[in-house]
Amino acid sequence: MHAEVSSAVLHGVSGQAVRVEVHVSKGIPGFTIVGLPDASCRESRDRVRAALHSSKLPWPDNRVTVNLAPGGLRKEGAGLDLAIAVALLLAQGHLAKPAVEGSAFLGELGLDGSLRRVPGTLSMVEAVKCDRVVVATDAYAEARLSGEPEALCAPTLGQLVSCLRGEADWTTPALSPPRSPSGPMEDLREVRGQPLGRRALEIAAAGGHHLLMVGPPGAGKTMLARRLPGLLPPLDRDAARVVTRIYSAGDFGVPTSELIIAPPFRAPHHGATMAALVGGGSRALRPGEISAAHGGVLFLDELGEFSPVVLDALRQPLEEGVIRVSRAVGSVSFPAEFVLVGSMNPCPCGNAGGPGQCRCSDAARVRYARRLSGPLLDRFDMRLFVQRPTAEELFRGRPGEPTAAVRERVTEARRRAAHRGVRCNSLLGSSALEAEAPLAPEAARLAERAVASGQLSARGLQRVRSVGLTVCDLDGRPPPLRGPDVALALQLRNNPVWLDRSYAGSHVA
Amino acid sequence: MPAVMSPEAPSAAATSAATPDAEASAAPAARRRAPGGSAATAELGNEAYLAALAGLAGMGPARLERLLGRWGPAEAWGVLVAGRLADAATTARVGERVARRWIRDAAVADPTEMHRRHSESGVTVARRGSPGYPKRLQGDPEPPAVLFRQGEPDILERPTVTIVGTRRCTRYGADVAFELARTAAAHGVAVISGLAIGIDAAAHAGALAADEAPPVGVVGSGLDRIYPRENAVLWKIVAQRGLLLSEAPLGTPPERWRFPARNRIMAALGDACIVVESHADGGALGTVTEAARRGRTVAAVPGPIRSPASAGSNRLIAEGCGVVCDVEDLLVLLDVERARLPLRVPPADAQPTSEGTAETILDAFDWMPATLEMLAARTGTDLGELSWHLENLIAAGLLARQGLWYERRAEQPSAAARRA
Repeated sequence: MHAEVSSAVLHGVSGQAVRVEVHVSKGIPGFTIVGLPDASCRESRDRVRAALHSSKLPWPDNRVTVNLAPGGLRKEGAGLDLAIAVALLLAQGHLAKPAVEGSAFLGELGLDGSLRRVPGTLSMVEAVKCDRVVVATDAYAEARLSGEPEALCAPTLGQLVSCLRGEADWTTPALSPPRSPSGPMEDLREVRGQPLGRRALEIAAAGGHHLLMVGPPGAGKTMLARRLPGLLPPLDRDAARVVTRIYSAGDFGVPTSELIIAPPFRAPHHGATMAALVGGGSRALRPGEISAAHGGVLFLDELGEFSPVVLDALRQPLEEGVIRVSRAVGSVSFPAEFVLVGSMNPCPCGNAGGPGQCRCSDAARVRYARRLSGPLLDRFDMRLFVQRPTAEELFRGRPGEPTAAVRERVTEARRRAAHRGVRCNSLLGSSALEAEAPLAPEAARLAERAVASGQLSARGLQRVRSVGLTVCDLDGRPPPLRGPDVALALQLRNNPVWLDRSYAGSHVA
Repeated sequence: MPAVMSPEAPSAAATSAATPDAEASAAPAARRRAPGGSAATAELGNEAYLAALAGLAGMGPARLERLLGRWGPAEAWGVLVAGRLADAATTARVGERVARRWIRDAAVADPTEMHRRHSESGVTVARRGSPGYPKRLQGDPEPPAVLFRQGEPDILERPTVTIVGTRRCTRYGADVAFELARTAAAHGVAVISGLAIGIDAAAHAGALAADEAPPVGVVGSGLDRIYPRENAVLWKIVAQRGLLLSEAPLGTPPERWRFPARNRIMAALGDACIVVESHADGGALGTVTEAARRGRTVAAVPGPIRSPASAGSNRLIAEGCGVVCDVEDLLVLLDVERARLPLRVPPADAQPTSEGTAETILDAFDWMPATLEMLAARTGTDLGELSWHLENLIAAGLLARQGLWYERRAEQPSAAARRA
């Protein structure tokens, strides 16, 4: 007595089709699961048995072998429960083969026979090669998102068996109406003053340039950062699917019953471990915060307080937009393309930046600055010093431009970037920049001066060009870059204040 | 550089070293050592022992003076090497612990090697009272027992001015220090400062820019221990073209207690002491106290009342010390004839930028530094345009930038230094 049923497991954030084979033969009663199951997978036996009993369905008094094919792939989680139960019923002749042909089954079983959603439903539904896929009722909305195989659902195992036998009709749960996009968004209008900060946010949104904000406590760094995702245009369908898959697999506490189209905003605490930030974990390899920020904004507040090792792990994903996590249990790639926004204080006392106001010793300041490695600092196309707004600005300043108006410019600028074949200007390579962002003569002179004075490296020049091009795009002008574009890009690339060591020695050198 | 270290006192005999007037000289020692071929310690010059003694841990000027008051340098060293604990401790008036440490260190120290190092780096040591010892320190209440120097000692025959101030200075402070030092040096006044970063460095740079009277640097560490590292270039130029002084032999690290001690030497060497910028509790105020004790003229440069970097110097003025408002004040203070200074030459790369908005932007500055955002609010100019004009104004030498802050600029220190 042999039966086969389709199902899938989660590997990273993508699904892998799995065939559940059951063989029931004469012999001493026993139950074995083979095919590299992990602990939660092996516990299926007890859940399945209880669920069958509760649903008044037969449990075989024979020797049962369950094989999860392909045998070389590790299987994690309880998502195969339902498929094993169905295969058992099939092998015992309790279900007819045609009833399950072309169907895949995904779900965890409760001891009372109820069906439950498993993380990563969307990815797994996309992975199975069947016409229909049966999931738990609470996973129905998510399973429907994939479009291709047709989604069906049942609240319990008993109900499911009735439907499969044709004794009952499939029910469709009422779908909740689509949510309004993530509630009241924080608006840029509420930011008083900070003209440079606003401009930098706009440029970061349009060009995908990473932004480092340095400033005393209370200057408004977090306030600015929280308004960045609102400036980004909504995710397109493909990106939204990727983001939804990540959120479904990672259980980041965001419902995935519909596609996530608002660019995500993640602000992990500075105590975050390597696994929490970049993904991984000792058993199942889960996506981390940087993948949760895919397509949106990763905000690292108090950048100097993060462990340096964790921060340096960001360098590869910042370059490639993908993080490869390799562990003993296997290796997976997670998408991780985000705009990085960092914020930190300029020095331990927080007051550096104004001439003669900081009371930290030179050594303390240098130590503080060293927490940020040079290569990571280099990834920030813009380093902005955020100053405390004056009382004048706070109480009498006029409200600034609203988010919606800025987003329009950003969307337009991204459209221009798309014509160059990239999603945003920060992804342009150096040869592409050479061609796409020519410098007007006066801009070239300015850039040359900056390079000659040692203020700018060759790589820095490329980044300045890229930011300058974004400025052009936002203004709706075609290149070449004019003097003011380059000047603004240089202004925004200023070395953080603390690196601008005492200039006294420069009198001679 | 020849091994001869003190050309001004070739005949001073090592045997009469018990009197403080004897000049310690390497020349006779070298001559004596050469034929014998033996480098026996007894034949070393006094200065080898002076350097070795001064290099002992915790050997301040007063203790060294007491030791040398009783014994000659070689003899004092002999006492330590012989381990005469009680003798050494009573004479120097130190505890047994300190004396025991000296004895332990002296047992392993090598004056010959020390002497060789000093000769090779062209560092000379002068005992108080010897001809190579600065006259201004001769009658000092706390004179250094020995003084190590690198460079031309004649510089101190000129009129001198000590310019001190905070390490965390503003552009204003650095500009003023530079300008005062340049003017003073151009009039033949030797500028003395401490080779720290900030005001000190600006003062040295200004003196070098005048290319007339060379600068004098008084430091707290050994002359080979450049501190702070940022000033390495400046340090070397001062050593080449001016004079470096220290109470400590080569290899002495910049210990904390040495800096207040260094300040008293700066105060004693200058005819006047000018404080350019000092925080309310700044180290420069210590120099002022020392200068006042010695009856030197003290004056301060007033700063903005809101600037913490000027709190100390403004307080000095409130308490009645002299005020330096321009270079004229400084020259009057030093009693120097006002000579004609060479006219300032605008830098070659300057372009006329004073048109349209550039002028509006310059007008938007008062004499306090301003940030890009402040200027944007004052002029209503687009951030890009504004940055562009600021860059050009910097290139033209009309503005300076420190970190985020832009400031109108009166003088062109870096260009002047480059010309010099």
